[in-house]
Amino acid sequence: MTLTRGQKRGVAGACILALILISIGVMASLFASNYQLRLVYSTFVNLIVVLGLQVFMGNSRLTNLSHSAFMGIGAYAAAICVTPVAMKQIALPDAPWGLNAFALDPITSALLALVITGVIAFLVGIFIVRMTGTGATIATLAVLVIVHSIFLYRTDIFKGNQAFFGIPQVFSLTSIVILAVVVVFISRGFRESAWGVMLRASADDETGAAAMGVNVTRLRLIAWVLSSLIIACAGISYAFFLGTISARPFYFNHVFLTLAMLIFGGMRTVTGAVLGTFAISFGLEVVRWLETGPVVVGIDLPEVLGLSGVMLGLVIVLTMAMRPVGVMGDREIEELFIRKR
Amino acid sequence: MLELTGISKSFGGVHAVRDVSFLLEAGEVRGLIGPNGAGKSTLVNLISGLLTPSSGTMTLNGVPLTGQSAHQRARQGIARTFQNLRVFPSLSVEQNIDVARYAGGSAALPEAAIRQFGLLDKLTLPANALSYGDQRRLEIVRGLALRPRILMLDEPAAGMNEEETEALGHALKWVQQQADCALFVIDHDLKFIMTLCDRITVLDMGSVIAEGTPQEITTNPKVISAYLGDDVSAVA
Repeated sequence: MTLTRGQKRGVAGACILALILISIGVMASLFASNYQLRLVYSTFVNLIVVLGLQVFMGNSRLTNLSHSAFMGIGAYAAAICVTPVAMKQIALPDAPWGLNAFALDPITSALLALVITGVIAFLVGIFIVRMTGTGATIATLAVLVIVHSIFLYRTDIFKGNQAFFGIPQVFSLTSIVILAVVVVFISRGFRESAWGVMLRASADDETGAAAMGVNVTRLRLIAWVLSSLIIACAGISYAFFLGTISARPFYFNHVFLTLAMLIFGGMRTVTGAVLGTFAISFGLEVVRWLETGPVVVGIDLPEVLGLSGVMLGLVIVLTMAMRPVGVMGDREIEELFIRKR
Repeated sequence: MLELTGISKSFGGVHAVRDVSFLLEAGEVRGLIGPNGAGKSTLVNLISGLLTPSSGTMTLNGVPLTGQSAHQRARQGIARTFQNLRVFPSLSVEQNIDVARYAGGSAALPEAAIRQFGLLDKLTLPANALSYGDQRRLEIVRGLALRPRILMLDEPAAGMNEEETEALGHALKWVQQQADCALFVIDHDLKFIMTLCDRITVLDMGSVIAEGTPQEITTNPKVISAYLGDDVSAVA
């Protein structure tokens, strides 16, 4: 198999990003405090979500607002499978269908969670990919609300806003860095694959692409399912690290946060997804510190609650207004090193 | 090869195409002319599947095209270009061509066509960095990458100067010989159409009013009256 020009550059670009991610991981494990380590871990979880989001949004340029729901589906499915029976008897005493009477090993649980998420994503996707523009966006929002309501009110399975606890903590920083690197290669690989190139063509000009033989709805569905699977991986690694989950982290705030990351960095590129995740995560930490009203160079700043939400909203508004394609635009990281011809 | 039987299309009460029937032979170069609003682009859209006819049937090599979407028709060998350009601006020139290769299932880059249309040293450029004329040529090469049996060109010479138009004519002659596909060409430049095409179909008010060789068309009184005599006498 010969690689196209774009694919060769894709390998180079993914390798550069992988090196950056590994460096961040190594630095964190050497120098970070326990609190910082958790921050870095959650940044990597969000990175995988944003990369998954990029696979669908960046290539099809349709907006998805339901991604956090699929993260939740992955997390809960894995949690229900992997949690030991003794724990589940306490956590979910009224669970139906014998859900509290079995337990699987982490790998089987993760794979099963991916299958479940994949099937649900496929069934939902069939409807989503037929719509265009505003219709598709609103439909994904509806999916988010539906899934959240189920998490919230089927307390016998999901425990709602209470913590679902007792999940074995089998993931570490090392495992999440490895997973993120694999996902970088998958998402860049998809972007440069025949499917990715055809999907991007359809986003540029749907009619033109159809006239070139591109089956737009089929490609959107492929990207949608792949995207949901990647996001489910993030959910699974979230559950496997924290050991406890609840419905709240898989709702609006998280949708908004990861969307801001992707929009700021630039949804059209994998590099944009990585840049946006780290830039917003870092910026948010600074803002959270400012929120508490610290003393900076002798000046006692006032406490400003809600500053982080305002900042996040501003990032989206300003990026949309001033540079709608995000910081990276159409450029991947390796293109910064290649001379413009 | 491509046969249209009684094809009509109306938008609301407006009959854009009325009862059009014709046969396009394999390897033929057919011109489609007519005054503005005659229904030329609508006809191309109907053949490529972007529009659905109100009535009538279409077959390609005897296989009915009814109910087939645009992408299915493209895969069966009906390629086209657009009057208002539809290159993929965020992709490189090479990737624009790749899209058709991937969708049409052809393995190799159509290198000879790329050279013939002067795009060989522009493959790595983003498509929106190309000049207007080059974007038109890219659309043709992209269509050829589908390995079509028919390539429909909607005003390929629009916006080109005389020199470029002549070069385009030569390149299209080459296409017909090398790529073994029929060409179906709409253009307003009658000199270009007359020198390029074997046969010409004339559309007016959505109906076919004449069909024949360039000589027959230029002397056809119906055609002359449809054009108010001006354009045709200028060529003849």
